[in-house]
Amino acid sequence: MNVVIAAGDVASAYGWGLDALWTGLFSGKTPICSTSRFVDRGFVSDLMALVPDLQTDGDESRSMAMLRRLLSPLAGKLDPLTPLILATTVGEIEYVERSVLNDARELAESARPLVLLEKIKHLLALRGPALFLSSACASSSATLTRAASMIHHEQAQSVLVVTCDAVSEFVYSGFSTLLSLCDGPARPFDAARSGLTLGEGAAWALLASDQSPLTKGWKTAIAGWGNTTDAVHMTAPHRQASGLTRAITKACAMANCTPQDIAFIAAHGTATVFSDAMELLALRATMDRPKPIFSIKGGTGHTLAAAGLMQILVAARALSLGVVPPTVGLCAADPAAAGWVHTMPIELTTGRAALSTNSGFGGVNTAVILSGRQPA
Amino acid sequence: MIRAVAWCRAEDCGAVLADRPPVFQAAPRNHAETIALIQRPVKYIGRMTDECRVCLCAAHLALRAVEWNDAREIGLLAAGDAGFLQANQNYFRDYVANGRSMGRGNLFIYTLPTSTLGEVAIALNLTGPAMHLHDDTQPLAALVQHADQFIADGEADGMLVLWSDLHAAVCLAIDGAGAQSSAIQMPKGSTPKQMAHDLAAMARPA
Repeated sequence: MNVVIAAGDVASAYGWGLDALWTGLFSGKTPICSTSRFVDRGFVSDLMALVPDLQTDGDESRSMAMLRRLLSPLAGKLDPLTPLILATTVGEIEYVERSVLNDARELAESARPLVLLEKIKHLLALRGPALFLSSACASSSATLTRAASMIHHEQAQSVLVVTCDAVSEFVYSGFSTLLSLCDGPARPFDAARSGLTLGEGAAWALLASDQSPLTKGWKTAIAGWGNTTDAVHMTAPHRQASGLTRAITKACAMANCTPQDIAFIAAHGTATVFSDAMELLALRATMDRPKPIFSIKGGTGHTLAAAGLMQILVAARALSLGVVPPTVGLCAADPAAAGWVHTMPIELTTGRAALSTNSGFGGVNTAVILSGRQPA
Repeated sequence: MIRAVAWCRAEDCGAVLADRPPVFQAAPRNHAETIALIQRPVKYIGRMTDECRVCLCAAHLALRAVEWNDAREIGLLAAGDAGFLQANQNYFRDYVANGRSMGRGNLFIYTLPTSTLGEVAIALNLTGPAMHLHDDTQPLAALVQHADQFIADGEADGMLVLWSDLHAAVCLAIDGAGAQSSAIQMPKGSTPKQMAHDLAAMARPA
């Protein structure tokens, strides 16, 4: 049995829908820009990648506003018992901000992820099991692996994965404090990269068995995955990349694929000096030769929990169309990335699978292998 | 299969095993006693939240009970949102109180649901999958089911399942050995605090 991506969509700084994200990446232009949202705060940067035309309703959070618009077309169209998994790092963190700023402790309760989960169930009229999953910046890719496992184990016939994270003062101040932000738009895998740009986004994917009527005409399967922990540092990656290397090795073994089968890589590519270096080490340790890599974060910014699913949906389309998007923001590749990352689209000639990688605070790593449908 | 259940709360800590007498002892009262219990150096124990420390002790006691060594790939699952919701408020309140231009990194890093898992993984050298996973109706039972799937998928040799609130943690050690091995039933209790209370009552020497 294959577990396949039956459908999915995304909201990003490029706009609403996967088409907007895909076209935006191929334009080579970044929507990252200066904003006055946190003016006078003295942060390292005022750059961010915000979802355009986002209307919040009353005291609604930005995360819920993204999800309300993105998920509305699904309302009433899913089996009400479809399991739901929500992936987020901070969810509706505005309620914590407001509770502190207004000295209204009761507001903080509204920031509980289970409250957001309940809102999504209500929006989509779902009555089945629901989970909140967080694995730092690997959250949504890890969620995809959980959903695939549930279907493999016949715990469910289909699972809806939903992810979101918004740019907030809470998160922006934290990353500014950790000196993780760069003063220009993020430049993943660039020799002159100096940090990440925060972005916001939301995405969903419906996973199902290829035996399901939901998946007629499917194009991409979740063929294998691996989740590991570095167990060395709370915020810094493992200098020898052993955790991500193990995750990739596990994913390839589960997918029964060799490095030769991997056509390209959808990388985490945050544009921080050490995270990109660690990722390149892991890829060099596991691949047989340079493969085309792309990172979407030079355009979308780092969307935290949402990053993994967003890049996986792009990778699924790239696998289907046989062309890999360029890495927006890249000018001159880091010497370690030369031959891997590109400023222009790359047409695929070989390989039947794609690798997607994410890592995050706490030393978490997730690798996912996508495979395309083979001709009958 | 659940091989052992450990707990840690303000009063006491210990473990209940399938085929051996339970362990019961006083809870560590300070950082030095926590390190003495863990029996290995723990970096940054002073900055950890209370929830993080009780989780660390419970996880250590569960590992010690089942005698899994470092060569095994052990994963971590956790549920409970009280710890990171408190950490979120602590971070932002401090940031606002100090002029709203720079936060404290040592508070910010505990604001993620996975922060406790990260510290436990580092302290106990656990390199398997680590996720915070909270089911909206039956948190612990869902974690056990997912732990079984991680093992069946080959992602881990064993899983530690943590359920915690601000001052109490329960940790289940789960592996994929067959039904012929000794196992224990899922403990009862509607909250980590209640479950820890029940486990202490079960393990306390007469």
